[in-house]
Amino acid sequence: MRESWALIRSAWLTAASYRMAMFISLFGLVFVLLPLYFIANALQPAMQQTISGEARQYFGFVVLGAICFSLVSTCTTSLPSAIDGAIGRGTLEAILGTPARLRAICVGFMGYGVIWAILRAAILFGVAVWLGAVVVWRGVPLGLGVMLLVMLTYAGFGLVLAAIVMLFRTSGPLATVLLTGSMFLGGVYYPTSVIPSWIRDLAAFFPLTYGLRALRQIMLRGDSFAYVARDVEILAAMTAVSLSVGTLVFWVALQRARRVGTLSTY
Amino acid sequence: MRRSEGPGRRAPASRASRVSVRRLTKSYAVRRRWIDALRRPFSAQRTIVIEALELDVFDSEMFGILGLNGAGKTTLLKMLATLILPDAGTAIIGGHDINTDAHAVRANLAMVTADERSLNWRLSANENMLLFAGLHRMKAKEARPLIADTLATVGLQSAGDKIVGTFSSGMRQRLLLARALLSSPRILLMDEPTRSLDPIAAHDFRRLLRDLADRHGVSIILATHNPDEAFTYCDRVAVLHRGTIAALGRASELAARFGRERYRIWTNNGEHPCFNALVRRGLVQDLTPVEDVDGGFVVECNIGGGEAQGAEVLRRLVESHVAVNRFERVALPLSSLIARIVEAHSTTAATESARA
Repeated sequence: MRESWALIRSAWLTAASYRMAMFISLFGLVFVLLPLYFIANALQPAMQQTISGEARQYFGFVVLGAICFSLVSTCTTSLPSAIDGAIGRGTLEAILGTPARLRAICVGFMGYGVIWAILRAAILFGVAVWLGAVVVWRGVPLGLGVMLLVMLTYAGFGLVLAAIVMLFRTSGPLATVLLTGSMFLGGVYYPTSVIPSWIRDLAAFFPLTYGLRALRQIMLRGDSFAYVARDVEILAAMTAVSLSVGTLVFWVALQRARRVGTLSTY
Repeated sequence: MRRSEGPGRRAPASRASRVSVRRLTKSYAVRRRWIDALRRPFSAQRTIVIEALELDVFDSEMFGILGLNGAGKTTLLKMLATLILPDAGTAIIGGHDINTDAHAVRANLAMVTADERSLNWRLSANENMLLFAGLHRMKAKEARPLIADTLATVGLQSAGDKIVGTFSSGMRQRLLLARALLSSPRILLMDEPTRSLDPIAAHDFRRLLRDLADRHGVSIILATHNPDEAFTYCDRVAVLHRGTIAALGRASELAARFGRERYRIWTNNGEHPCFNALVRRGLVQDLTPVEDVDGGFVVECNIGGGEAQGAEVLRRLVESHVAVNRFERVALPLSSLIARIVEAHSTTAATESARA
């Protein structure tokens, strides 16, 4: 994976050259966490019963939702935006003209964004624990596994969006629809059980619904794997389908761009 | 980069073919208006960009592809670089087929365009090089001395730590070449590399390319619309017109045949009978007075037969006491050159057709 690391390193150096943007990206975490802390504590008495199936404390519930959503957003958008940027800058053809494997290039394009998002998530999680978020530590390793599945599922969606960008130079509102739907129906700020019944069925189509529910039950309530096995199985199936379809669609789109000669057309 | 002493300008016949293009064909769909696309969604028109092209490029050869804009030069190079898929035909690059073994093809060649955008302008030259070293699976520790060496080859040894955004166009072009040379490619595809360079930088750059072919054994395919660049620096030249090869041969032969017989003569007497005598004897054709300069005359004419015949015409003018103030060969515009070649190509084809 030397090719991937070369791309990640290059993206890091480029991002680090925009010092103010990097500072804001880290300093902005304060403005994410502090409102969550105060609002979640204020709502704790009202939400305690509602969230009891997934957590005991609303602050931990909402922080984990926010962290998971930020990782999912990055996994969905980093590859399409990297492809879009590389086409605009004219670097995509130059990179595809090297003997680097396509898989390594895709990982390299996504890598910096995902690593940076994980770093921000780790800081957010650490500060949240310091502020009083209750976490069952023995559930963390399994929780990380579930988180990885959720991220891979959305990376598969990212491959499809990147393919659409490669073909049409835009993915339109698809990313927004997917992420907004995941946020409101996937249970980022409230459990899916409180969603009105007429729209709750839609929540079943979003991988975040299963991932976030399992993640909270494992990390915030200390439930065993057996308790969340059904959700994890569905999530794993979604991951397999999403990555397979994403890989196929991306490859077909790349071949089509090569056939019509539009790899460098922006 | 391999440091073997190259063979210089040897005859192509004595060398092995590194690039074999066989009936390579490419067409693109013509973009239609919305209304046309809705009326006939399945009847897309196509325009042929490259048609059944065949050519060979040999070891250590600098091969020029000369053509007007839209002749198909860039499409041809991109197909060889596996960035565009052909509709039909194939090319064998270093023993690998572009259709079935694209990965191995990419390990054998590098493409350099005049597109400076493909560099990361916020990184230093060294960092840009390190990125591509990584993409060629080189370890950073091994790549660093090679990067220094390659930057020195293109004259950028002191610019490694500078941000590319502060480079001049010439420096960026050299960096693109250095980036391509990093993987020691056996074949270099150059797409109008001197387009944005000033004349001195362009001259230096062409000499560098010539040196790479002669001393390092690199085969170079140079797409250009500059006849002087093609005829002066390349071993052989193919003139591409509407996707087909209108002429292919040694640069010196093509230049003598099509491109270098137009001369301009500055004299005090443009109506001297000697000029008409030269026309009658067939030494001079298409005699045209161009302008009257400060009481003198400028005459343009075609003198076939290369430099020897040019010298003969000059000798006869001087012996006839025509005051010749200047006598020089005129660079033929590319459009005129292509027109001549296409005309000759059409005549030959018509003759062959009539015989058949």
